[in-house]
Amino acid sequence: MMAKNDIVYDPDSHLQTDKMWVIMGPQHPFSHGLWTLKAQLDGEIVTDAEPIIGYLHRGWEKECENRIYPKIIPMADRLCYAASMTYTHLYCMTVEKALGIDIPEKAKYIRMIGDEICRIQSHLMWLAAVGTDLGNLTVFLWSMREREFFMDLNVRLCGARMTTNFPRIGGVRNDINDDFVMYTKRCINRFEKAIWDVISLIDDSSTFVSRMKGTGVLTRERCANLGITGPAMRGTGVDFDVRRDDPYDNYDKVEFEVPVLKDGDSYSRYKIRIEEMFQSCKIIMQALEKIQAIGKNAPYRLKVPSKVPAGRAFMRMEDPRGESMMCLISDGSDKPYRLKVRSPIFVNVSAAKPLVQGCRIADVPVVMAMIDMCLGETDR
Amino acid sequence: MGYSSILDWIIFKDVMDNAFYPFASYNLPFDISYKLWEIIGGLIAWLVNLLLPGNGLSTWLISDEVSNVFALVIFMIVIFAIAFVVTLISLWMERKVLGRLMDRRGTMIGLKGFLQCVADGLKTFMKENVIPRKVDKTTYMWTAALIIGTSVLIACMIPLSPRWFVVNYGTGLLIIMALFALAPFFILVSGWAQNNKYSLIGGMRAAELMISYEVPMLIMIATTCLLAGSFNINDIINAQFDTVWFIVPQIIGFITFIFCATAEAERVPFDIAEAEAELVEGWQTEYAGMKWGLIMLADYMRGYVSCAMVVIMYLGGWLIPFASADMNGWIPEIVFLLKVWLIFFIMILLRGALARVRTDQIVNIGWKVFMPLSVLNLAVVLVLKLGGVF
Amino acid sequence: MAWSKYKTEYIDSDRSPAGSLWVMKPLWKVFRFFCKTVVHRPVTILYPYEKMWMPENYRGRPGLRFDRCVACGMCAKMCPTACIKLVETEDASGQKVMRPQINLGRCAMCGYCAEYCPLDAMTVTPEFELAEYTREDLIYGPKRLAYEGATEKMEIHLEQTLMSDIKNGNSERRISPFKIDRPVLDAAKCISCKKCEKVCPVKAVKMVEHGVNEKGRPILYPEFNNDACICCENCVEDCPKDALRINEVL
Repeated sequence: MMAKNDIVYDPDSHLQTDKMWVIMGPQHPFSHGLWTLKAQLDGEIVTDAEPIIGYLHRGWEKECENRIYPKIIPMADRLCYAASMTYTHLYCMTVEKALGIDIPEKAKYIRMIGDEICRIQSHLMWLAAVGTDLGNLTVFLWSMREREFFMDLNVRLCGARMTTNFPRIGGVRNDINDDFVMYTKRCINRFEKAIWDVISLIDDSSTFVSRMKGTGVLTRERCANLGITGPAMRGTGVDFDVRRDDPYDNYDKVEFEVPVLKDGDSYSRYKIRIEEMFQSCKIIMQALEKIQAIGKNAPYRLKVPSKVPAGRAFMRMEDPRGESMMCLISDGSDKPYRLKVRSPIFVNVSAAKPLVQGCRIADVPVVMAMIDMCLGETDR
Repeated sequence: MGYSSILDWIIFKDVMDNAFYPFASYNLPFDISYKLWEIIGGLIAWLVNLLLPGNGLSTWLISDEVSNVFALVIFMIVIFAIAFVVTLISLWMERKVLGRLMDRRGTMIGLKGFLQCVADGLKTFMKENVIPRKVDKTTYMWTAALIIGTSVLIACMIPLSPRWFVVNYGTGLLIIMALFALAPFFILVSGWAQNNKYSLIGGMRAAELMISYEVPMLIMIATTCLLAGSFNINDIINAQFDTVWFIVPQIIGFITFIFCATAEAERVPFDIAEAEAELVEGWQTEYAGMKWGLIMLADYMRGYVSCAMVVIMYLGGWLIPFASADMNGWIPEIVFLLKVWLIFFIMILLRGALARVRTDQIVNIGWKVFMPLSVLNLAVVLVLKLGGVF
Repeated sequence: MAWSKYKTEYIDSDRSPAGSLWVMKPLWKVFRFFCKTVVHRPVTILYPYEKMWMPENYRGRPGLRFDRCVACGMCAKMCPTACIKLVETEDASGQKVMRPQINLGRCAMCGYCAEYCPLDAMTVTPEFELAEYTREDLIYGPKRLAYEGATEKMEIHLEQTLMSDIKNGNSERRISPFKIDRPVLDAAKCISCKKCEKVCPVKAVKMVEHGVNEKGRPILYPEFNNDACICCENCVEDCPKDALRINEVL
């Protein structure tokens, strides 16, 4: 009775009432970060919506043009606070492509581990946000607790918890040690058990499932037209993952599955993210084994020239939130001429209107939580 | 007249000997307040008599009529203080239990975190009384006062034992229910008066919430009263002493009523009127400082009343399980409160485990689940009653 | 394994929470967890009284080993937030020396100063409680930057592998760029101004006479002591005629 949700906004079937605009944000509990959603309400039903972004614009791309290449790495961390290593990784890959060098195998695997740790971290942060958006603080605290263990892994890996500043052009900052390998295995074994607490709290609870099922439905075509990427896209049935279909680093050498669901509603997006966390665990375990096979003294960081030859380079990668791309134009000096970032959320947030149209106002936080907003990368 | 001893003025009379004793049966809090007034009034009378011997004021102060009036004033304070402390303890319990089940510690200030309530009260008390310029000021203030007032009133009206009551009405349960159901109206009006879109939606939702659970709740109250044969709370509990606790024949009603009571208290799975994820704080958005603090307190008082109703209707009130009549005379107030906190613990678990439901879902649940269940419960009770089991 | 369990039970099958009694399973989970945390302590720590364990390589504020520093300015050059400045101070023997001063209000704790320090004078420290009453208090002078008990693990060594080494099959050699990159002179541009000799922090530049010019003045060309050089690029940057450049060994 609760699972079926057939609210479709049809102006003729409703009473003709006054519509009002409700401004949600930038200081609103539902907006994770600084952004505004203007929603036009007809009673409780949203008839129109408009996202407003730009509160966090810092001139990131312009500022990069005045910095030498290594100095951009700490800045790339700050693009996305929830998964800082992915953007740094992407930046380093772009510069390496411009330099035309191939980095050591070990560095590739270490970066991969870092990436997947960040993916789990980011998804757990999203899970926490879903909990509060649905009015349950237990999910929030339990998933934040799980996230804390991955933060500790970050500390062991590179000495910092959030803004890791770990990948370098030509490799990674430091080698991993035996402690890290041991603690990562232990942490992942623990996580695979502990996350079931949260799963049974959400997936086995009809309050959670009925809130998510059937809300924010997007079709495959709509999704393609809007340019949505990431778990939100895979939730609508598009079977595409950059890690598998256009592998960078060593993703073609590890085995993992890309979960795809056809429903296109909030619940399928939720399930895909949960499954992705398990797949990330799988990737980390495989990468650890491969690193141990490579040997301790293998190189992990190349010495790279400080100047990048003139030309342009483009790389894309699978961020926790979608497909992020970077395009570097170099003029042969030690500073980039232009560095363009394509962030997934900047595109995904444009789907706010089709997603929330026809929903109830109570569904807006849930539907938007499934986009997993991160304003650091959106506004740059 | 010469010097009179203070003991001439403080006479511990039996409260029942007072010609104007306002209650039909023995009332413990009134007894306490009567004794308190005998001490205070006797002291004043003695002092006045020392200064002005032979005046009429002293004898007037300790006469039966006047003692009664002042004892009633103290009685009100005592009753409110107890309800207040019980509410604070349930607030503390919620914070601690919720903290523990979220893997954190809960409040940590003084007495295992209990003094956090005092700190919160002081903090909200110190705040500036902010009234937004564009609200309808009269309605804004009055509705808040009425919401808090009715909540405190019903919290005080809950009897803790046969000797601890305010009024022993024949229609006790109905009066409580009637006052309980008033608050959503005030919330609706207050949401309108605040001139804020979030508050308006919150107020509308309060009305929506009310129409969805009030009817099944009333049906279940009627069922219990049918089983007991009376609306009087004392009679209901005596009936449970004579037969079994009503949770046994009415297990369906018990579970349904817990959910309805949660909705009545506007606690988490059903707190759509103040859903903080989408409506900031719902109808409380524009209330700041002490007003908000008192509304919060009133919320917990309503939670206490909801739990007390569950205990009265299903868990045998102040009865100790499988105990004889003699044992039940022993501190029944504590037994009652322990049961109330047990039910409140279940509510805390609900808050910890469940997500907020949507407005259309709560109407769905109310009319398609709770309503048939309550009618089924009524049918079961009717069969039992007609079959002569009760 | 656990990673297939979610897929088979939740994604592939059409599971409904009604199967686990709607809300009973989460209630039971939460109750069980409550009982667990009543017996054991919760996972949180009482922060000011208990502190989290931090590994030695934790990137807190930078720490300086005053005696090792030669004031090459590499940290100031590499700092992404430009919070490091070289200031004049006195060393133990009372001599005026330049040492870095860090404005921790701007510091991003990226660890670049420690990473790019050629002599490992700058380290990372596990100190993260840096609150002060004024902004001026956040500016750490060279003396205040010193960190007692800086250990070996707090140093960050820049260990890189040369691409040529990998080609030669000598891929296990790791080397710091400060040991192999050396400045080279374009003698045609040199005007013998001796600036490189002045700015060199380790006195690795020596002006050597190469005959006289047509006016009879001596022609001085810098010569680099490759063992002492730390590749701080000060000479390259300060050369007025761009006669020096760093030869990057790749």
